[in-house]
Amino acid sequence: MSLKSKLQRMKGHLSLENDKSREAEQVQAALQGGAAETAQTDAIVEQEVQTPDQTAQPDIPYADRWQSMQARPFVWEDEHVMIREVRYPLRQQHGAYSFAQLHDTIAAWEASGRLHPLSAAGKRADDLLFFDTETTGLSGGAGNTVFLLGYSRVEGEEVVVRQHFLPAPTAEVTLYHSFLEQAKQSSHLVTFNGKSFDWPQVRTRHTLIRDQVQALPTFGHLDLLHGARRLWKDELESCRLAIIEQEKLDVYREDDLPGYLAPVRYFDFLHSKDPDVIQGVLRHNEIDVLSLITLYIHVSRLLLMHEREEVSQEERYEIARWFEALGDGETALQAYLTVAHSDHPWSVRAKLAVGHLYKKQKDWKSALHIWESCMSSPGYVPEEVYIEAAKLYEHQLKDWEKALHYTRLAYEQWKKRGSLLRNRSKAEELAFQKRIERLEAKEDMRGML
Amino acid sequence: MKMKKSMAEILEHFRQDERFLANIAHWRTIPARDAKTVSFPSQLDARIREALEKRGIPSLYTHQETSFRHVREGKSIVAVTPTASGKSMCYHLPILQTLSEDSQARALYLFPTKALAQDQKSELHELITEMGLSIKSETYDGDTPANIRQMVRKAGNIVITNPDMLHSAILPHHTKWVSFFEHLKYVVIDELHTYRGVFGSHVANVIRRLKRICAFYGSYPQFICTSATIANPKELAEQLTEEKMELVDNNGAPAGIKHFLFYNPPVVNRQLNIRRSATLEARDITEQFLVNGIQTILFARSRVRVEILLTYLQELIKRKLGPKTIQGYRGGYLPSQRREIERGLRNGDIMGVVSTNALELGVDIGQLQACVITGYPGSVASTWQQAGRAGRRQGESVVVMVGSSTPLDQYVIAHPEYFFDRSPETARINPDNLIILVDHLKCAAYELPFREGETFGSAEIVEILEFLTEEQVLHHSKGKWFWMNDSFPAHNISLRSASQENVVIIDITERGNERVIGEMDRFSSMTLLHEEAIYLHQGTQYQVEKLDYEEKKAYVREVSVDYYTDANLAVQLKVLEQDQYRREGQRAFAYGEVSVHAMATIFKKIKFETHENIGSGPIHLPEEELHTNAAWIGFSDTLLEEIGTEDVERGLVGLAHVLQHVAPLFVMCDPMDLHVIPQRKAVHSQEPTIFLYDRYPGGIGLSEQVYKEMETILAQAERMIVSCPCESGCPSCVGATDDGSKELAMTLLRVAQGGSAYVS
Repeated sequence: MSLKSKLQRMKGHLSLENDKSREAEQVQAALQGGAAETAQTDAIVEQEVQTPDQTAQPDIPYADRWQSMQARPFVWEDEHVMIREVRYPLRQQHGAYSFAQLHDTIAAWEASGRLHPLSAAGKRADDLLFFDTETTGLSGGAGNTVFLLGYSRVEGEEVVVRQHFLPAPTAEVTLYHSFLEQAKQSSHLVTFNGKSFDWPQVRTRHTLIRDQVQALPTFGHLDLLHGARRLWKDELESCRLAIIEQEKLDVYREDDLPGYLAPVRYFDFLHSKDPDVIQGVLRHNEIDVLSLITLYIHVSRLLLMHEREEVSQEERYEIARWFEALGDGETALQAYLTVAHSDHPWSVRAKLAVGHLYKKQKDWKSALHIWESCMSSPGYVPEEVYIEAAKLYEHQLKDWEKALHYTRLAYEQWKKRGSLLRNRSKAEELAFQKRIERLEAKEDMRGML
Repeated sequence: MKMKKSMAEILEHFRQDERFLANIAHWRTIPARDAKTVSFPSQLDARIREALEKRGIPSLYTHQETSFRHVREGKSIVAVTPTASGKSMCYHLPILQTLSEDSQARALYLFPTKALAQDQKSELHELITEMGLSIKSETYDGDTPANIRQMVRKAGNIVITNPDMLHSAILPHHTKWVSFFEHLKYVVIDELHTYRGVFGSHVANVIRRLKRICAFYGSYPQFICTSATIANPKELAEQLTEEKMELVDNNGAPAGIKHFLFYNPPVVNRQLNIRRSATLEARDITEQFLVNGIQTILFARSRVRVEILLTYLQELIKRKLGPKTIQGYRGGYLPSQRREIERGLRNGDIMGVVSTNALELGVDIGQLQACVITGYPGSVASTWQQAGRAGRRQGESVVVMVGSSTPLDQYVIAHPEYFFDRSPETARINPDNLIILVDHLKCAAYELPFREGETFGSAEIVEILEFLTEEQVLHHSKGKWFWMNDSFPAHNISLRSASQENVVIIDITERGNERVIGEMDRFSSMTLLHEEAIYLHQGTQYQVEKLDYEEKKAYVREVSVDYYTDANLAVQLKVLEQDQYRREGQRAFAYGEVSVHAMATIFKKIKFETHENIGSGPIHLPEEELHTNAAWIGFSDTLLEEIGTEDVERGLVGLAHVLQHVAPLFVMCDPMDLHVIPQRKAVHSQEPTIFLYDRYPGGIGLSEQVYKEMETILAQAERMIVSCPCESGCPSCVGATDDGSKELAMTLLRVAQGGSAYVS
């Protein structure tokens, strides 16, 4: 019996990889009446098309289609990759900002003198490579191929989007060669989740061909996902780039190909070699790398100009927390105070935080002052405020009567809240009781003396 | 109050007690063995030597020295010695020696379970500390924290893990292990004998992948294997690693006196040859040890038995020892639970443990004095492994094997020489099983593209690569096959279970506190987790409320009932292809490919203690289909005329019953892995036929072996029936007890062996 026929017979037992994304695409196509590919509008006008280099063209299927998509071949060691290049003037607006504002942002970091992982102080605009990849799978691993390395970068008076595309898996050496020649002119990557996904995956694929390609440069890395999560985790339904674009950056995509369909489009391309199949993926990646510039400008402005009116109190509070975590108590205090003095519901938690910062500076008086002002505010006051005040009275000011008073207030409130939620922790209750007993004992001691 | 008896007193009591003695079919005393030692090799690093001397070890056992020499000469070895013979030194010594000379060198230790890996890590850490060597050794498994993982990848000299982790976490991410693979000098495979059947066939392919990755990074590691006693350790090691092996079997370790008792429960119905339940007898014997404060392990054949025995014993012992001192141990418990039990056994908090063969492996549970085995474990090797749990080091110990009514148990009990004189079984793997091979070719292609002309061990791969290309899993371009799919193949492939997808068991007793208490493979779940089944877990009874077969979830609720459940499986079988065939007289033997359709039909409720049937119900589950290999015995149609259709049918059923017990012996497998079914009229030939098929899709070589050894197996079956003392058939031989069953099975056996239906 031939192996082939046996394979066919055994097919039911073989776990052949069923293409979930392929099914998803069919569903999507059905929903949209097959319109996913047809509408191809350019949200951005004023594109300057660079004439592709006509001289060194190997035999490339659909060469004219590629050309009309602003892509030209790059040939090295008998293999070619396609490099698509799109240029925009600096004054071009992308969402809420123009690209030119990147220069202002860098200058602002410079002027602020603040230490922050997202700071661009001391860098030139073209040091920053706004970078994103497309891969054949979502999980990291040796077999997940990076088939598109895309980035945007300020080059003189323009922003250039350059996409290095792998037209066949045999051309990976050429892909990385072409990419690294360009990329090494910058010193820092700016990405969205690139620290844990894109760059490790690039490193993985590079390792497989490390004897044939130059070493990877050591880039600095500004990952904007971390900041986005800090600022908007509670506010947005998810911290995906597409959501942030809509909610925060005023970038609206039309007929965008969802990122999860990229692998299956690429597999189709490998069979048909038709660039139209992959065009949606290129376009999607292009907007991604452009939005990274906008997002970077936006997040930097929030961090550097948190006193501005457009910044929401929630954002301001999170910004303060971030600076506090970085050890910049001074900046954190300023931002917290703005929230604390507002009539926003978060002013209470901001006051609590301000008190903690004062306490850290051993400024007991100011800490108590702000906590006590907090207690007199009309809204709900968390027990923590009373407990913190009690602690200060007990340990620093040795005023046990006051400490006992606040502890009892906290305990009463805790009991009320607990019966409301029908959920009381025995450990918490015990902690209250112990504290009260201890303070009562101290009070008694004093009374006896 | 009675005084507790010592081991010697208990043994004396056994000898005096007539009722007990009457049931002892055989009492073998295995004498103590003296140590054979050799002085330390001259090239051994002084620090290593001094550390050993400080432990009171002045020399090496012969097998340790031989292993050291071979490995230092660059050979791959397989060392075969019994439990507690210091076999881990066979690999520790040469590897630590190399690492003391070359701090860059790396070694990979593979253990079949995480528990064993943990054990070895502690042992190794102690050794390394005492030796004052700066060698980093660390486990790498699902429990390793992320920050340590990175350190292990970058700088671990010795990485201790299991094949599953190698398969799904290390090889697919080999680019994170560059310096590890570049400097990999040794691969240790401990407990080699566990790598047989489906699991072994998978692991052989994982090793093919490992060697392929090593070659990519320019390393060609030596393999060091250790194994419990099996018939073919060298062959198995060579099949598993595809490397030439040196066999080291000159065991030099000493051992204490061991008493090995074969205990046959008394006959309660002489006519039907029905004996008292082995489970109950084993329970009573175990109780005698426990109440005298002797740490005892009780082995049961199945997970259900473990739970039944545990319930019994916990009830009995409660007042005397406190309930926590008897524990169950089997697959399906969560790892943390198992670790806790292992610790309890070592420090003596736990007096007794009821276990499946999960504790056959070298998990360190310290020294137990007594071991009770319920029913013959099915293989000589496995029996010695279980028996090795008692008296691992020195001193007097006792092993009691309690026979059940199955034909095999009765045969072994009646023929102690079969057990004591026979060489243990052969371990088989079939790395080229098509399904397993295809699985691992996908993983391998994910790890590195295949080049034309590249090999994958001894397997034929070009056609499979082409097949996978047609299926759009691979992409073929310029003489290379590239992985071109968005999945992560290793995640869909489990090395351990046939059906690849396990059913999780969820306890819904407490609302708002639903929790996962275990898991089970899908095929077993058809008969053990169907709706209304009683599932036992740590001695607690649960009733299955709902089995969501699609989502692979079983919802169970705690209950308290006095019965357990037992399900029936209806099987249909069709021959697809006949590969081999030989005919003589009225019978033919054949081997080929078959398709099997299995469906759970009904279940019975069986009362504890009396084992009577107290109810039944239907099972509504979809049919499972299986393509596999089978060997079969076909009888000529003329036989039907000679002895009558109905009698042929009864004979077939009886003979199948015997073969189900005899055949697994010869191919060293669990009876669950090789199924036997009789057919009065086989679809392909219209003749009376008995099929013996591999339970795993594509087969793992069991039925092929049955085909080759059919004559021997049939002769053994005849001996078993003849030696059974029953009159006309009993559960211990042909199963049925009605008149003439035994004679009819014998008739078919004569024909099957080339004779005629009638005794001339």
